[in-house]
Amino acid sequence: MRKIVIFWGVFFGLLLHLQATSMAQAPIMSEQLVYSLNVYNGKGYGGAFTPQTEDTIYLIANKNSAIFARTTLVYFWPITAKFMAGWQTLNEKVEGSLEILKEGKLVKSLKPQDNSLYYPEGYWGENSVLSIDEEARTYYEKYKKAVDEYYQKISEFYKARIEHRKKMDEFLEEIKKRREAGEEFTSQEIEKSIPKEPKPPEGPKFYTTEPRQDYIINLPAGTYRIRIRAEGGTIIQDSQKNLVVFTSRRTGGTGYEIIPGNRWTMREPCDDPARIIYAAGKNTLYFNPFTQDEYNELYYNKLEDPQNPGRVERWRWVHITPIKDVTLLFLKGKEVLQRVKRLPYSVKQVPGATLGYNIIEYDQEKQPYEKPTFEGYKLDLSPTLENTGYQINLEKKTGGFFKGGKREVRLVRKENSRLLYALSIFPLVIGVVVFLKRRRRLFP
Amino acid sequence: MSKEKGFLSTKTIKVLTRRDFVSALHGWGIYVVTVISFLLSSFFLGRYLGGIRENNIRISPDPLSGFLFFPSVIIISLYLTILSSVSVSRERDQGTLEILFYGPVNSSAFIFSKYLKEMLTYLIIVVFFFAYFWGVSGLTNLGFSLGLVKAIFLSIFLVSCWISFGLFISSLTSRVRNSILWVVGVFGALWALYFGQGLLLSLSTEEMPAFLSYIGGAVSVIYQAVWWISPLSYLSRGMDAVNVGSIWLYGMSILYSIIYSVVLIILSIFILKKKGVRG
Repeated sequence: MRKIVIFWGVFFGLLLHLQATSMAQAPIMSEQLVYSLNVYNGKGYGGAFTPQTEDTIYLIANKNSAIFARTTLVYFWPITAKFMAGWQTLNEKVEGSLEILKEGKLVKSLKPQDNSLYYPEGYWGENSVLSIDEEARTYYEKYKKAVDEYYQKISEFYKARIEHRKKMDEFLEEIKKRREAGEEFTSQEIEKSIPKEPKPPEGPKFYTTEPRQDYIINLPAGTYRIRIRAEGGTIIQDSQKNLVVFTSRRTGGTGYEIIPGNRWTMREPCDDPARIIYAAGKNTLYFNPFTQDEYNELYYNKLEDPQNPGRVERWRWVHITPIKDVTLLFLKGKEVLQRVKRLPYSVKQVPGATLGYNIIEYDQEKQPYEKPTFEGYKLDLSPTLENTGYQINLEKKTGGFFKGGKREVRLVRKENSRLLYALSIFPLVIGVVVFLKRRRRLFP
Repeated sequence: MSKEKGFLSTKTIKVLTRRDFVSALHGWGIYVVTVISFLLSSFFLGRYLGGIRENNIRISPDPLSGFLFFPSVIIISLYLTILSSVSVSRERDQGTLEILFYGPVNSSAFIFSKYLKEMLTYLIIVVFFFAYFWGVSGLTNLGFSLGLVKAIFLSIFLVSCWISFGLFISSLTSRVRNSILWVVGVFGALWALYFGQGLLLSLSTEEMPAFLSYIGGAVSVIYQAVWWISPLSYLSRGMDAVNVGSIWLYGMSILYSIIYSVVLIILSIFILKKKGVRG
């Protein structure tokens, strides 16, 4: 009996141990020289890193991009099927000068430069600018000064609020006494004499990162090779990479992000003018137009993250800036069916336990402490619309259409899908006709 | 060499092509296979419309010229490849090839007439394609686009690759059974290679067991090797050209297909001459 208990005890112990080891399997880390990137992507700057598995770095031509070599621990993360950098564990700078070669000849030797990212619309804004050297330091000083001023104003605001509370208490006390004395007030009189509440100060709208030292690359389109030469004159091992500098194939196109009213979180891109919007039944679509540039798919995907896949023979559109000062037209041929203005919208959850939401037009007066969820051009596709082809287009304020803004909208007939099988049989009917004709000719 | 026995005797080709083409029109094969291919397209189309029904919206390039048309082309291609692959071996097997060659028929006229007959058969199917997709467009309002016309036009050249490939196999084999087995085997192997490569590429090399990474490497090398030989890669290139909408890729796809067809037809003529009418 004791043997059986010991056996099962050991068995379950081992089982739990195995389970525990499989649950907490630590990734295998390897020390690597990698390049950390802060690259221009057509609309702003994005960060990534190039592990040893990637032998090429991709950059956009004639724009500043910042790169720097570092030694870190790299591990494979199966969930994303990508290599990750353990910056927290090891993040060592690789000192030296970056040499850029074209067809084996040295074209540039770069020293690290101070640089910082300036976000004119704040950290979550869509634009960012890379500033270098003195400009980077000035922007950062300006940001620090703006933050200090903000904290100063916050401190003054708190003092003013305490003062306001005191005045408010005194005001209420006075009103109470005068009412007790038989005096009567209208609500307008009270509103007029009530102490005004101080407004909280607004923080700096822009944001600037702290300056750091990177190699700033700005090259014309072409293929290059880079390497780092140490102070002693030797080439640092594993620092050699190919560098592909590319430009857009087409610029100034118009792309759309479409938010379907029935699932607003699932935004659909409609960038290629050859793409058609197929719709069925009642639906509301919110259109967000953008200017866009077309880049090689492989190059651009690798620019965003050197570990991204892509195909060199394909092209992709990249949204650059939102188009705001236009009117969206919904057309049937040349007839304008709807003219739509850009408006802000709020998404409101349905109150209670029921799942669902409503998209309502944002009203700043009614929702002073809220920000709109999104902005867009709302197009209602009513079920009474004839099932045929329509177009959308963007009309400029000055007249005429915005370049590349036309898209086809087709309302499909889904109820006829069963008839397709009947349609498939028609060649057989022709076969029977041919057979009968031949039979009649052979046996009149 | 007499005028009748010239390299390409127009009259001989005309007579041979007409004989085979009329026979194909009077048979059931062309109609049955077209119906099967349309049923397959209708199935995919139904699923596509189901997707729109579920979400009320779908943004895509014209589906008719993309993934809804090409399944039909694949079915038709297999049928025409089998037909062309048995065309020489059947005549050889039955002894009619020997009788024909006593007359004003030579290898080039014979192979060329077989090729023309299959191409004419496909052109009849192209008429069916236009009628079917026009009907589909009317029933569903998916639209009969210029892209679809371009895809149908391109398919003529892609199918030409398959037909010349079938003729090439046929010139190599002496028996009908062998021809069919070869075509079905090669067709299956090419599909397996195409899907196998796609599947192995989608796996991460880090997670892959060692034996699979060796297989992956080997499959990749074979795939590269057959890239210019397999008619399937011409179809894949053509589909890409239509989906991407690139005029350059579209033109190159047509040019590659013509070169491929010409090379295989010349090879078939050469092999038939070498092997003789009795194989």
